[in-house]
Amino acid sequence: MTTILKAAQSRRTFLRGAGVTMLLPWLESIPAWGGTAAQGRGTLLPKRLAVIFMANGINPNNWWAKGSGESMELGPSLEPLLPFRQRLNFIGGLFNEAATNVGIHPGQTGNLLSGARLTRGPEIRGGISFDQVLANRLGESSVQPSLVLGCEQPTTGYHETNFSMAYGSHISWASATSPVPMEVYPSLAFDSLFENRGAQRTRSILDRVMEQAADLRRQASTSDQKKLDEYLTSVREVERRIDRVRESANQAGKGTRPGQPGFTLQRPDNGLPQDIREHMRLMADILALAFQTNKTSVATLLLCRDISGMFYPFLPVTEAHHLLSHNDTSKEFTLVNQYYTGQLAYLAQRLQSMAEGDGTVLDNSCLLFMSNMWSGSRHDSTRVPVLTLGNLGGTLQSGRVLDYYDRPADTRRLCSLYLSLMDRMGVELPSFGDADERLAGI
Amino acid sequence: MIASHQALAAVAVAVVFAATSSCARLPPSLASQTVPTAPRSANLDHRYVTDVQPLLKTYCHSCHGGSSPAARLDLTAFDTTGRVISAFDVWERLHGRLDRREMPPRSAAQPTDAERRTITDWFAALRAYEAERNAGDPGVVLARRLSNAEYNYTVQDLTGVDIAPTKAFPVDPANEAGFDNSGETLAISPALLTKYIDAARNVANHIVFQPHGFSFAPYEVLTETDRDRFVVNRIMDFYRRQRTDLADYFFALWRYENRSALGLKGASLASIATAGGVSLPYLQRLQQLLHDRKGAFGPIAGMQRRWDELPAASTRPSEATVRAATEALRDYVIGYRKKLAWTFDVPRARPLHIASEITAMHVNRQEVLHRRRLNPHVLLAADTADPAAKGYDADLVVPSEPAARAAAVASLEKFCDVIPDAFLVTERTSPWLAKNQTGRLLSAGFHSAMGYFRDDGPLYELLLDDGGRRELDGLWRELDVISNAPARQLAGFVWFERTDTNFMLSPEFNHLRAEDLDLASDVKFGELRRLYEAKVAASGATAETRRMTQQYFDELGAAIRATAQARAAAEPTHLEHLVAFAERAYRRPIEAAERDAVLAFYRQLRQSGLGHEDAVRDTLASVLVSPHVLYRVDVVRTAAQSRIGDHAVAPLTSYSLANRLSYFLWSSMPDAELMARAAAGDLHRPEILRAQVRRMLRDGRVSRLATEFGANWLGVRRFEEYNSVDRERFPAFTNDLRRAFFEEPVRFLTALIRENRPVTDLLFGDYTYVNRPLASHYGMPQPDGDAERWVRVDKAGRYQRGGLLPMAAFLTQSSPGQRTSPVKRGYWVARNVLGQHIPAPPPDVPAIPSDEADLGSLTLAQTMARHRADPNCASCHATFDFFGLAFEGYGPVGERRERDLGGRTVDPATEFPDGVRRSGVAGILEYVRASRQQDFVDNLSRRLVSYGLGRGVIPSDRRLLDQMQAALRANGYRFSGLVETLVTSPQFLMKRVP
Repeated sequence: MTTILKAAQSRRTFLRGAGVTMLLPWLESIPAWGGTAAQGRGTLLPKRLAVIFMANGINPNNWWAKGSGESMELGPSLEPLLPFRQRLNFIGGLFNEAATNVGIHPGQTGNLLSGARLTRGPEIRGGISFDQVLANRLGESSVQPSLVLGCEQPTTGYHETNFSMAYGSHISWASATSPVPMEVYPSLAFDSLFENRGAQRTRSILDRVMEQAADLRRQASTSDQKKLDEYLTSVREVERRIDRVRESANQAGKGTRPGQPGFTLQRPDNGLPQDIREHMRLMADILALAFQTNKTSVATLLLCRDISGMFYPFLPVTEAHHLLSHNDTSKEFTLVNQYYTGQLAYLAQRLQSMAEGDGTVLDNSCLLFMSNMWSGSRHDSTRVPVLTLGNLGGTLQSGRVLDYYDRPADTRRLCSLYLSLMDRMGVELPSFGDADERLAGI
Repeated sequence: MIASHQALAAVAVAVVFAATSSCARLPPSLASQTVPTAPRSANLDHRYVTDVQPLLKTYCHSCHGGSSPAARLDLTAFDTTGRVISAFDVWERLHGRLDRREMPPRSAAQPTDAERRTITDWFAALRAYEAERNAGDPGVVLARRLSNAEYNYTVQDLTGVDIAPTKAFPVDPANEAGFDNSGETLAISPALLTKYIDAARNVANHIVFQPHGFSFAPYEVLTETDRDRFVVNRIMDFYRRQRTDLADYFFALWRYENRSALGLKGASLASIATAGGVSLPYLQRLQQLLHDRKGAFGPIAGMQRRWDELPAASTRPSEATVRAATEALRDYVIGYRKKLAWTFDVPRARPLHIASEITAMHVNRQEVLHRRRLNPHVLLAADTADPAAKGYDADLVVPSEPAARAAAVASLEKFCDVIPDAFLVTERTSPWLAKNQTGRLLSAGFHSAMGYFRDDGPLYELLLDDGGRRELDGLWRELDVISNAPARQLAGFVWFERTDTNFMLSPEFNHLRAEDLDLASDVKFGELRRLYEAKVAASGATAETRRMTQQYFDELGAAIRATAQARAAAEPTHLEHLVAFAERAYRRPIEAAERDAVLAFYRQLRQSGLGHEDAVRDTLASVLVSPHVLYRVDVVRTAAQSRIGDHAVAPLTSYSLANRLSYFLWSSMPDAELMARAAAGDLHRPEILRAQVRRMLRDGRVSRLATEFGANWLGVRRFEEYNSVDRERFPAFTNDLRRAFFEEPVRFLTALIRENRPVTDLLFGDYTYVNRPLASHYGMPQPDGDAERWVRVDKAGRYQRGGLLPMAAFLTQSSPGQRTSPVKRGYWVARNVLGQHIPAPPPDVPAIPSDEADLGSLTLAQTMARHRADPNCASCHATFDFFGLAFEGYGPVGERRERDLGGRTVDPATEFPDGVRRSGVAGILEYVRASRQQDFVDNLSRRLVSYGLGRGVIPSDRRLLDQMQAALRANGYRFSGLVETLVTSPQFLMKRVP
């Protein structure tokens, strides 16, 4: 009893005292998990991947890119990305076969990252999304396996195609039947990076059972004590491992680059920001913070969901997002598209300002920007807009315009892109979703 | 080899004799079974010094002595019998190697056979003596964690759902006896502990938070879709259980009215309702409707006429005839009722959008109000109706004369009241969608947005009794509380009114976001409502539109408030439930301090910032990985300490005993009744224990004993993962068939245990159990029902099946791919079934081709005969190959066959050790019945002792084994005899204390 309270007290005090300074950048020279020593510069720099999602398609007239590198030209919808031309890949013509011929909207969304066929009616069934595959494989060494954020709450009604609207609300799926719960509140997303979540929750459970094991051991016979000692030893060892991960995260940043303070962020207020601009900026900041401090290496950020009810009185645009997308060649919709690529640029800017090794966090990341359809008015699944930003630790070339549209179906699958990206993240699978080939030329 | 086996058998017989005779002198009570420490036999001491030691000195000491003895075994150290006893396991091995002539090595001087026997006989006698002196010794049974299987079953019994949290864990290692339930092998490591924590978390994620306590769903419940699935399924399950087919009611009434002719003289309407599974109150209403002839008009008159025309039971109509007649009556009634029903179109209620939730809800409400009402607008007046006109329907014509019309309408109203247009409606879609949009269960029918709507008035009012009504009300209340539906409906409302109707795009609404969970707070909801209603009013809405708008917000607001209150009130009940859960999981009464600690942990988590649900989940996870749950530590009543032979022992506490018993028979925690017996403190009494054993053996949970004991004993526990069949060559071998192969012995054993059949049925029973895939494989007739249904097949010998031996799982697992392996099959029979000890083969055995087609001109039997011509192999193989050869009538996947894969005719006839030539399974069984049945029974007893105690069999168990076999013989070999004897033994009831 007393030990529990004392432990709670001390950790709480510790947390309060530590505040934001605990979120310090990750440092490559400090042995991270399990005491692996640094093996040459750069080899230990973590790679991160984030999917940034905007629903309801784009204005096809204004969504284009030409040329390469510094001389790359960008269509009006992509203008905010001009400063990042050299870090950008404009990828055209990829498609998700499971999203074709199933009707519009939810059937184009819930499988965007899985390539799985979706089930209509009351039963929710699709497939695990590739970000969660990564989270499952890479998550053990992180405070959080993945960060799943959104700026619009999920909904669960039925669309006229008889797909559940849940498919339109989630891009990250933990399994065929369950989406990953999405955090919409900035304050709670911020808290999730702190230690009272994730691994620290495991630590609390271990403290608790340790106490019970010690009690039980006192009552047990000598030979039984030996068996219980195995348990106690295991508890201590797992605690030590968690503490090691925590320490490496905490000590990180003490001199990553002298004179270069890491990015810090005050805890956002409780509740939901009324202004969507503030909301999206906070979510991008939190994602950037999570990457900088290596709390996770996998994230998804759903800026708006399918059939979005987002509205943008500040643009100025009068209609809500979804209805406006039906008028996709309008000037207003281009403004909305620009607003979203602006969010991507903002996040890229944040990551670029974070020093890491010889470069920046953006160098070691890939921001994968996608929508669930091409033309907003035609809802077409023949291709989806895809952008990448960042270089995944030098494994991903950038400054390119890649177009797969005229190629055979088997050579332009989204899941092939995912396989290629997962390879670079160190997770090599023989196949994923509907693809068993990597994407050529990426 | 054969000689040595016979020698062992001789010793065993001697021990049996000694044990039985001493046993007979002992009173049956447990206390007196405790043998006091006896002085060691002077005779055995003397023989050791005079006979044995000189031989050891002559033949052994030169190697196993001196400063660096071979194999670090110094036999010179054994200067007394006492020393030998203290190193019994060393001497067991020594005895075995001497007996098998492995020692002394061939290069050394060899003792004569007589000298060899001097040593082995002396040791056997010492062993028997010591065994008897220590009979009943509980042995060393270590505390241990639960096995993966036990953990799964325990979680299943705790939560009520089969989550199988350890299914991805590494396989538990088995002990020497082949079971994974002993402390020697069940270790834990940091990696495994991490898996347990993840698994416990996963279980906690299945919690469904309810208004009173919590339960578990078969899937994780973290997102809204998960919660929806849970609440919707429960209500749908309730609805599906209701009988709403009028034909069933008419049929029940017909039976009642014809009860004399049907020989149901004593039957009441209630008993017939119960038998037919229909609602009694509704049956009574229908009965009235059919017999109240006064004023009957239209459909009532029509159904009464048709009722009278139903065949009388005295004419002996077939049931199908009557069923068909009642169905025709139903169709008439429903057809007529449809014509009298109300329909409602979505009103055009400007400024509300055509797809507005407000108008949709208005329509829903109207429909509910009119389910049992006549729609007078469809009626036609007799004097004006034109039979030639379009839409004319004679059924709808009522008299024009006012009094007659009033009577007709009254009759129609009565009809509509008793026969609703629908008992319940479970699916709604928005009216402008295609009608094939099915599956939107319990939906309010909003366009795109979520919302639930209850439409079961007639079911509730007409069919349900008070209990049913309470249950259904509770389920609907829980729907709101669990899924938080009202607040979510509000969020959907705001989203839809912004994105699809544009109504809320005007700037005064800008600060109200659908994403905001606080939108349902009194303040924000009130503001939203005020602004919305103001805009409706300002847009020139009619009074009715304003009213339906207000009503929408009234109802939604009330539901939001009620749900919020219920959710807040639920939290303390979750904590109570958590403590109760911990107590059940600890499998003993929880102490006050432990209760406080559970709650303190929850509060600590809340303080650290977790929400209520996460804090409950983590607390539950901490319970599930607690050593009190994960470990089985037997606790004793030390005050009652006594001695058995060389060891101090004490009885287990009641709760430890209850746990030992339930983990033995159910691989899981004790149930409520067993815990109640433990609480009453009388579980140690043999008659109570026996009664509990009999109860538990009848319970379905013994399928776990069949799986964990039976399938491990028989070596097929992991057969569901067996992958060594070439599926191209054997396309019939599908995953379903593989699963059926595995289940066959498990089901056989389960039934044998539950029905308390003779254990000899395992060998000789002329029956087995099959489902559809297995029946096809065995060439048996297909059982009725779905593919998962299992049936018992008697006289299975017709198909060359019956009992364990010809089951496909064993025959397949012992076949290396493209051929059978008589060696492996024979080995399996000898070792697993009959308990024969067979030493490992020498390392230089040449391989037999793995494909029968590659054997050339020889059959497998001929190839093996050539192999056995080698005397090195022959001595061993002669003791089991014949079993395998007799199985040659079964192919590599256990299929019956005449020819092998090389096209040669197979011959399952072979010579058995008694010189008789026999063939097939029948031949094996004949031989076993004549010569080896005792081996089978002894083996089964040993395996069960080993499994039940969680340790290997030790010599001092001999008396227990004899008693178990005596119990079998005294009771027609029924299974319960084994278990009852075992659980009332000192080994089971006590534990060694230091």
